[in-house]
Amino acid sequence: MRALKIAATGMSAQQMRVETISNNLANMSTTGYNARRAEFSDLHYQQLARAGSVSASDGTVLPTGVQLGLGVRPAAVSMQLAQGSLSVTGGDLDVAIEGKGFLEVTLPSGQAAYTRDGGLKRTGEGLIVTSDGFPVAPEIVIPEDARSISINASGEVFAYFDGNIAAQLLGQFTMSGFSNAKGLEAIGGNLFVETEASGAALVSTPGLNGLGTLRQGYLEDSSVDAVREITELIEAQRGYEMNAKVISAADQMMGATTQIR
Amino acid sequence: MDNASYTILTRQMGLAREMQMVANNIANAATTGYRSEGVIFSEFVQSVDRGASLSMGTANVQNTNYIQGALTQTNGTFDFGIEGDGYFLIETPAGERLTRAGSFSPNAAGELVTYDGFRVLDAGGAPIFVPSDAGDLAVSGDGTLSVNGAPIAQIGVVRPIAPLDMVREDGVMFRADEGVEPAANARVVQGFTEGSNVDAVSQLARMVEVQRAYEMGQSFLESEDERIRTALKSLSQ
Repeated sequence: MRALKIAATGMSAQQMRVETISNNLANMSTTGYNARRAEFSDLHYQQLARAGSVSASDGTVLPTGVQLGLGVRPAAVSMQLAQGSLSVTGGDLDVAIEGKGFLEVTLPSGQAAYTRDGGLKRTGEGLIVTSDGFPVAPEIVIPEDARSISINASGEVFAYFDGNIAAQLLGQFTMSGFSNAKGLEAIGGNLFVETEASGAALVSTPGLNGLGTLRQGYLEDSSVDAVREITELIEAQRGYEMNAKVISAADQMMGATTQIR
Repeated sequence: MDNASYTILTRQMGLAREMQMVANNIANAATTGYRSEGVIFSEFVQSVDRGASLSMGTANVQNTNYIQGALTQTNGTFDFGIEGDGYFLIETPAGERLTRAGSFSPNAAGELVTYDGFRVLDAGGAPIFVPSDAGDLAVSGDGTLSVNGAPIAQIGVVRPIAPLDMVREDGVMFRADEGVEPAANARVVQGFTEGSNVDAVSQLARMVEVQRAYEMGQSFLESEDERIRTALKSLSQ
C-alpha cells in the first residue's frame, strides 16, 4: 500500500511549511527580515502502462497510460525579496535601504557578509558597527568630538563639529547587489553570505546600478505579512490533517486485506 | 471455479492504484502548478473455455485534470502565473518540458531559472537573461519582460499540440512528445503563482468511496471463500 508512504511525504511537507511559517511569525519584528516561503514539487512518476504502448495487434496505442505519482518533496524555501515598510526611529546611525541591495559587513574571520539591517552602532573608538559589533565595510570612524552625524541617500557620512559650519566627509557606505539575491545563504543575525547561486557581489554606490538608496533615521521592518502567514498556517494544518486521514484510510484498507482468510 | 475471486482481484488492484493517486493528489495539495490526476476504470473481457466470457474491471486509463488552479498573490518580481490555457517552456538536460509552476529566479549568470535550476526559455526557445543591475522588472500579459520600460525578452508561453498525450514528470513538469505551439489565449501575470488544482473535498470524498469499495470487495472475497468451503464440506460428506 504505497498510499501510506505518499501520505507520509505529504505530512512531512506540510510540517515543513508550518516550520517555515512559525519562523516567519517569530521574526515579524526583526529588522530587515524577509519572509520565507516553502515551495513543493511532485516526486517521480511510476509508469504502470506507458502512454503510446501498443494495445492491440492492429497498432492501436494507449492514449494516456497510467502513471502513479509517488508523493511530494520540498523544492525550495525561498526568500521573498519584498521591501519592508520603513519606521521612523530618529537614530542618527539607523539607516534603511530603499530598494534592492545590502550593506557589507566584515565578519571576525575576515569574510564579507551582507545585511539589510541598518540599525548601526558605534564602538568606543567611534567605528561604525552592526548590533553584533561587526564593522561595516568600508570602515568609517566617527571622531569623538563630532557634534552630529548625517548620512545622505548615496551613503556619504558627514560629521559636524562645534565652531565649524562646513560638514566634514568621513566616508561613504557601499551597496552590494547580487544577480540572484534569493541564492544568498542566511547565517543568522540578519546576515547573509554569498554562494555559487547568488553570484559575486556587485559593489557600487547607493542609488546607482539599480541599487537602493539609504535613508537616515529609519529602519526597515520585517516584510512578514501576518494575515498571509495565518491563512497559510490554517491551510498547512488542514493539509496535514488530510494526509493523516489518507494514512488511516490506507491503514484500514490494509486491515481489511489481512482479515481475509 | 475461482473466476469470481479473480474478477474481484482486478477490481481491488485498481482500487489500490486509485488510492495511491488520491494520496498523491492530497500530498500535492500545496504544490505550485500541480495538476490533479484520476483513474478511469475500464472493462476488459477475457474468453473462458466452454462458457460465457468473463468481464473484469481494471484501472488502466489515467485522467489529468487541467482546470486552472487558484492564483495566489506572492508579490515576487519573478513569480509568474498563467491565466488560461498555456505552459512555460523549460529547458532540462532531457529536453524541453512544460510547466505551470512559475516561481522563477535569476541564477548567478543572470539567466531566469526554475527552483530546480532549469532555464526558462523565451518565445524563440532561447534562455532569458535578466541584467543584474535591472531596476524595476515588469511583465505584460503576453509575457514580454521589460526593465524600466524597455523590453528585454518575451517569456515563452506555449500549449501542447496533443494535450492528451502529455506525460507527467517530477518537478511539476509535463513532456509533450507531439510538439508545442504558441498559446494564444494565455495571459501571464506577475507577482502571482498558480496553486495546485486539487479539490480537497472531492479527493477526500473519493478516498472514503475507494476505501469502502475496497472493503466491500474484501467481504465479497470472504463470502466467496465461505461458499467454496461449504461446497467442499457438503460434497465430501
